[in-house]
Amino acid sequence: MLITRQLATAKGLSVGDIVSLASTPDGNSPRRFRVAGIYEPVPDPMRLAAKRLEARLHLPDLLSLAADSSDPLSAESVTAINVALTDPADADAFARDVSAKIPIAQLTARAAQGGEGTATVFVVLDRFHFAIAVVTVIASTMFLLALMVMLVEERRETVGILRLIGLRKSRILLQVFAEGLLIAAAGAIVGILFAAALQGAVNAFFQWRYDTALIFVRITPQIAWRCVLLAVPLGVLASVVSSWTLLRSNVLDLARR
Amino acid sequence: MSPLAFALRGLVRQPGRAILGIAGIAATGALLFDMLMLSQGLVVSMEQLLASVGFDIRVTATQATPLTGPPIVGMADTVATLAALPAIEEVVPLRLGEAQVDIGGRSREVTFMGADAAVRRPWTLLEGRDIDQRQDTGQPRLLVNQNLARRLELAPGATVTLRGACTANSSVPPTVFRVDGIAEFPFDQASQLTAIATLRDFARACGDAPADGADQADLLMIASRPGDGPTAAVEAIRSVRPDLAAVTNEELVARFQQVEFSYFRQISFVLATITMFFGLLLITVLLSVSTNQRLGEIAALRALGFSRRRMASDVLWRSALLVGAGGAVALPLGLALATWLDALLQTMPGIPANLRFFVFAPRALIVYVALLAVTITVAAIYPMRTVARLPISSTLRTEVIG
Repeated sequence: MLITRQLATAKGLSVGDIVSLASTPDGNSPRRFRVAGIYEPVPDPMRLAAKRLEARLHLPDLLSLAADSSDPLSAESVTAINVALTDPADADAFARDVSAKIPIAQLTARAAQGGEGTATVFVVLDRFHFAIAVVTVIASTMFLLALMVMLVEERRETVGILRLIGLRKSRILLQVFAEGLLIAAAGAIVGILFAAALQGAVNAFFQWRYDTALIFVRITPQIAWRCVLLAVPLGVLASVVSSWTLLRSNVLDLARR
Repeated sequence: MSPLAFALRGLVRQPGRAILGIAGIAATGALLFDMLMLSQGLVVSMEQLLASVGFDIRVTATQATPLTGPPIVGMADTVATLAALPAIEEVVPLRLGEAQVDIGGRSREVTFMGADAAVRRPWTLLEGRDIDQRQDTGQPRLLVNQNLARRLELAPGATVTLRGACTANSSVPPTVFRVDGIAEFPFDQASQLTAIATLRDFARACGDAPADGADQADLLMIASRPGDGPTAAVEAIRSVRPDLAAVTNEELVARFQQVEFSYFRQISFVLATITMFFGLLLITVLLSVSTNQRLGEIAALRALGFSRRRMASDVLWRSALLVGAGGAVALPLGLALATWLDALLQTMPGIPANLRFFVFAPRALIVYVALLAVTITVAAIYPMRTVARLPISSTLRTEVIG
């Protein structure tokens, strides 16, 4: 039989060890099996907190171990039959055919899509984290605007002098725009690099905490681009909005003369 | 003028930046408050849910959760033995299974339960009358939840046909039930279809042989006597039936806290830490930039006789006003945000509709206020240091020349 890494660690088992298995809690009629290998179970978010103490047996071994002597069908019963199709795209049609052509009340045929419940959990967690990200972006934008208002205020006299020596409002606005673009792009890149450096630590912590190979954080190029596309326009917008009131002021007021 | 009034005037003088700063703190604070509510929310909600059922002990055959482990056999004797214990007020045996029902020409799965309850019931009757194992009217009777009643347009007195699928390889003939009432089940999921019958009718629908299947239960729900409490009752159960696994609501919640809910506790801790760090960093930057812009003003005030301590306290009060105002706005904002986030997480499969992820608890508010107090102090340290070390004459000279 094969056992999971978690079971091997919990019970101190290694390849070649002999273990006894029974199908009842009282341990009656045990059967002896040799550990042929240790495997990492497929990570499953639905069972994140569960200890994966699992074993895999050959089907005839499992059937004979779990067979109920009072039920002759028990040695001939399985929970599910997995079918691999030549063309996976035919899965739905095949499932419909099976349901129609094998009239057994308890038989349900459906296309395997990674587990309906599992997919839903991922979708819900994705929405939750997206909602948190939206709130974080709103908070960041507020702080960014407050900071930009302060920084622009600091440059009040400089802007006044630039206006006095003949630079047009549009020219100064273009400069503010370019500055905002550079700062926002630099900030976005630093943010992505920081997140990329941090993802290893976050994954390591949660993988250790839950004893799983599940990946919790992954910075994909798509996510990085999404961040840049969100952060850069916001940064530029904050620069331009905070500068706009200053550019509308009287030149002499700006120069404090 | 007091330092507080002085700081307040300073903020009011520049309303734009003050409002933006407060808005940023409010958004960050709302997120922080929500993460604090999430960290204990599921546990508090589960405690409330378990307490609302009216039973404080659950007994199973093994430590495995019901349906994944073996049932309790010899149920009648077990119930009689436990009910005779002085610390126990009531024992309700429960069987859990599934059934199929036709809805719109398609077979749909129904959570099907059997229970013999005399006084307390682990459900709330909304309409009609309750099922009672002491009345044998011949026709099987059941209660349905609102989802099933709505989907099949059932009302008390109507009939419904269920195909019991209580065990693997089950192939029993369909059973026609009379609907006695509509009930609410505390652990139902949002779209779950649920029906409950007496143990006798459950066994009939599941095709259990009277010799074995009818005398078993997946779970015993037990109410301890108020004077004794659940701990004493569990000890009494363990003394007479050490082979059974008995847990109190408190132990169950502790188990959930350790295993089932740990992901949200961890994620709330991580997000709360990041939010706190993020907020602290931004408030420190805001205060520092604001203080740097006021260096000339601060030096002038110092020259007029304001002490270092007085000017440093002005910075601290500014920090307290900004964070305090933002933090206060964050509370209603956080509650509204929690309602939205809760609705998002409620769509997760396997979550009872009555379970809440974000629950307001006094502890969350206390921790929140404490964290804000830490933020006020830590964010003000650097600008206070700048103010305290400010050289008056050189700063004034620089300001005049500049």
